[in-house]
Amino acid sequence: MIEVLTVAAFVAAYVLIATERIHRVAAALSGAAAMVVLGVVDAQVAFFSEKTGIDWNVIFLLLGMMVIVSVLKQTGVFDYVAIWAAKRTRGRPFATMVMLVTITAIASALLDNVTTVLLIAPVTLLVCDRLALAPVPFLIAEALASNIGGTATLIGDPPNIIIASRGGLSFNDFLINLAPIVVILMVVFIGLCRVLFRSAFTYDPDRVAALMALDEREVIRDRALLIRSGVVLVAVMIGFVAHSALHIEPSLVALLGAGALVALSKLDPPQFLEEVEWPTLVFFMGLFVMVGALVEVGVIGRLGELLTGAVGDRYLLASTGLLWGSAVLSAVIDNIPYVATVAPLVQTLVEAGGGSAQATPLWWALALGADLGGNATAVGASANVVVIGIAARNGHPISFWHFTRYGSVVAVVTIAISWFYLWLRYYT
Amino acid sequence: MRARDLVQPFPVITPDTDAMEAAQAMAGKRLPGLIVCDDDAKPYTILPGSEVLRFLIPAYLQDDPALAASLDDDAADELCRRLTRSTVRDLLPRRQDLDELPVVDADATSLEVAAVMAQLRSPLVAVVQDERVIGAITVSRLLDHLLPGAPSLPEAPAL
Repeated sequence: MIEVLTVAAFVAAYVLIATERIHRVAAALSGAAAMVVLGVVDAQVAFFSEKTGIDWNVIFLLLGMMVIVSVLKQTGVFDYVAIWAAKRTRGRPFATMVMLVTITAIASALLDNVTTVLLIAPVTLLVCDRLALAPVPFLIAEALASNIGGTATLIGDPPNIIIASRGGLSFNDFLINLAPIVVILMVVFIGLCRVLFRSAFTYDPDRVAALMALDEREVIRDRALLIRSGVVLVAVMIGFVAHSALHIEPSLVALLGAGALVALSKLDPPQFLEEVEWPTLVFFMGLFVMVGALVEVGVIGRLGELLTGAVGDRYLLASTGLLWGSAVLSAVIDNIPYVATVAPLVQTLVEAGGGSAQATPLWWALALGADLGGNATAVGASANVVVIGIAARNGHPISFWHFTRYGSVVAVVTIAISWFYLWLRYYT
Repeated sequence: MRARDLVQPFPVITPDTDAMEAAQAMAGKRLPGLIVCDDDAKPYTILPGSEVLRFLIPAYLQDDPALAASLDDDAADELCRRLTRSTVRDLLPRRQDLDELPVVDADATSLEVAAVMAQLRSPLVAVVQDERVIGAITVSRLLDHLLPGAPSLPEAPAL
């Protein structure tokens, strides 16, 4: 009986999150509260159990990276790089788009996707304004690039952080397994941009002078802070790459980096906490308690056994289903609660396969499907929603179907290539 | 003291007034805003200087003001030229809430005037008599009345 009630409470909260009838934080906290009222969850289960409790590694990794971004943002480095890169293209529209989407993808691999598009969108609008270009194709391309680039690393997209923590996967595991395919996907994506946005590339030589007149050095707000931040960021990246060898969790690397930046920058709390999205962190906590309750009552375990029996040793089939299924679901619902729910199931499948070379790629199928599937629709990823909001505020509305027309093509092509990659690399 | 004793003559414009003319009137007479009246000469709204700036400065520069540092004077001139193709209607916020109009009757006390300004965060209020605008009261004029004998403060040295 308690299992049925737990599942019912979970589904009800999930529906509220997916339909956004109430704020997702309120929905997740209500779901978590229901689990407590049902007696499934107590303090031990919610806060201290590694298997059923809040994943503090995820929470503190996110917090640390948000603080790092808050400090980096104060330096003006993103504006500098984007203007500098646009000027190198001497105003050629397609080259400008290539530069901007490449910067977006690289930044998204190192930072949160939403933060990246928030930083790149204003400077994109400025560059397009200078060149008298329609900014919408550039903004859509950047949202899509941020979702692709974010797939490359452990810290690039929140679902990857959850997958890493659940699967015990290191920063280098992501770099070795996902970064190569993301590089290929970016090359293909740039080719797609050439075709999809071909009507946007009208070159006006008279406007080039307006672009070249931009002075990127003026946007650096604090040169000393920029140098210090750069040094700390490099140290943090080295820490991520070496975290397995150093036996230190990525969350602690991020927190140490954040602490160092706070100490060196001498910024006030409102400044170094500016980019910390407290609602997102609380949402994660509520979500972990909800999923932990399903684990606690044994529902996830039984589902895992059923799946294990159904999959057997047909891991290519399982990877295919996971990749495409995750992509379809992530196109319509938030990929964070989706991955938080599915990750324990994938963990069961991978453990049943003894962590073999055939079973472990299930994690990569999940990451690729959930991260890239968000490109399919205007509401599939937070970065898409944010870009559409910025465009509207600047007098360039992007309708749901306008975005989805381009996003769905990019999603289908990138996921199809990802399937080919999984098959070729792990199952042949 | 009543509003009629504090009121000053004030330029009145309509939503169809040329935006550049309105902005130049504001700049030339150092006014914090202008009174916008409808076709029947009844007060419609206030156009504060900040709305003119919001129109001139693209939203992306408002989101990231540091980006404006990369622009030179030619770019600034280009932004200002946006006013030449526009009317006051283009400068006004899209949704006009007439209840929010900073207007007082000529009989209003100085504290009533202050309360309306404070509530609506407006730098001026229009003063009406028999539904006609007879002028406006600026915040500096009101403070001058409420706080007479203001000391002269040291000014920042010019560079």
